Amino acid sequence: METVVSGDDAFGREAYAALFEEIMSDLNKAVLIDKADITLRPDVPLFIFSIALKAEPSVKTVADAANVREESGSVHLTISQERYAPAILSALWGRYGRRAVAQQTRFDLDVAGADAAEIGSMVVSSGEEDKREILGALWRSMPEGIKNRRVLMDGNVITVVATEEIMLPGMIEEGEAVHKRMGGR
Amino acid sequence: MFEVMMYDGGVYRSEELFEMIEDVGGVVLQKNRSSQMLMVTMSVPGEDREAITKLCTDIGGVVKDVPLAGTEIAVVGPTLGRHHMPHPICDIAEELRRYGSVTVVMGMARGRGKATAQMSAVERGIVEEYDAAVFVMGNFKSCVEKKSELLEDVRVPVVLVSGPKPDGVEDRCEAVVYGVGRKASRMRTPPERDKLEEIAETMERVLRDKKRSLEEDPLFVHPAEVKQILENYEPIDMCLRPSPIALHLDGLRVKIPYSEHRDYLENVQVYGRRLGEVADIFPSRIDDSSVIIRIKTRSQVDDEDRSRN
Repeated sequence: METVVSGDDAFGREAYAALFEEIMSDLNKAVLIDKADITLRPDVPLFIFSIALKAEPSVKTVADAANVREESGSVHLTISQERYAPAILSALWGRYGRRAVAQQTRFDLDVAGADAAEIGSMVVSSGEEDKREILGALWRSMPEGIKNRRVLMDGNVITVVATEEIMLPGMIEEGEAVHKRMGGR
Repeated sequence: MFEVMMYDGGVYRSEELFEMIEDVGGVVLQKNRSSQMLMVTMSVPGEDREAITKLCTDIGGVVKDVPLAGTEIAVVGPTLGRHHMPHPICDIAEELRRYGSVTVVMGMARGRGKATAQMSAVERGIVEEYDAAVFVMGNFKSCVEKKSELLEDVRVPVVLVSGPKPDGVEDRCEAVVYGVGRKASRMRTPPERDKLEEIAETMERVLRDKKRSLEEDPLFVHPAEVKQILENYEPIDMCLRPSPIALHLDGLRVKIPYSEHRDYLENVQVYGRRLGEVADIFPSRIDDSSVIIRIKTRSQVDDEDRSRN
């Protein structure tokens, strides 16, 4: 992740570069971010946090997160992406009931009386959820008192413009300029 | 001259230690027992320090210096949100506890933001119940300087801890320690540990000034002596809260409800006087579950006696 921090406050610049990277790593979002542009102007106050993701979060199906195959009348799943394991289990329980789903190990599941193609196409995570999580991580890294926020989001670029009291048009324009520079529309 | 020290060890043969403290005329300031481990903060005559240290070593414990013993300090953050809590604030509180102080952590209801940060009169009153306060602020110089206005009316010694070095705050607090700020993880590295020590040492220096001013006009009775009298009172003896009696430099916090025990506290005898005559006794501003006792100075008591006669 490439992070660029700009602002007049030398201590704040350095501290926020470290804070941003640490919080994103803690929340497992650093691997999703390609670059980040952070503008810190506490004297206004105006904060613009903009990130470009490596790829736009999209819908994830069971087939994306697990290997699905039919074996002797039942469907066998081997989960390859552990972070989706709870969502896969929840989706299978919801569709086939707990009795039909046998969890042999942490990553291996057997589903009795199911269709492999149907299981493969079940949605376990929408792109919106991922975006919401990333936005939550972004808010967490921002200063707490800066509560008046405007979020610009399209494609793989997310920009948050934040101030403490009144959001002036000039602030939004500044945020939009950063958003465009990061690859947004 | 009494010296404050802490025994840290097991409960095995600890009765011998308590007997010796009593024999030399010392006072147990605080006793924390956790399973088989025991920590005893005590005040003993300087000439008996060596004998006490030898006994502590003989029974398998160690003796530590606790320069902040007998104080209760508030560590205050702008809020208790995850942006300000928990790392620097908890680490600072923990370090002060290692120096012997009883600490509390508090956040303000509307302390966030630069232009909108506020401290209510009730919050200020709560902070002023403690011997001193550490205010922990963030990473932006202009924010720290602006928010330091909140400290202007606080009437107990304040140490301001911040990220950058603020300018123009000298009149608002007793000392400033900079280089901390908002953090997303524990303060574990050697420079961070040094910073925590610097904060505790700064607090020690600030309180030394307060102690010196108390020595110039001494209290009618030392808080530890009042503690000895009160700790046998059954509601206090049965109190399950940690440190049922917390010592302050100029009094005590007793963790029993004021409304129920006011009469006892007002009338308990101290050197032939009612405690209510030689101390101000009032409920804590936090709620009714604690009582604050502020012992008057000798000159104050004499003055009140003269005006009565």
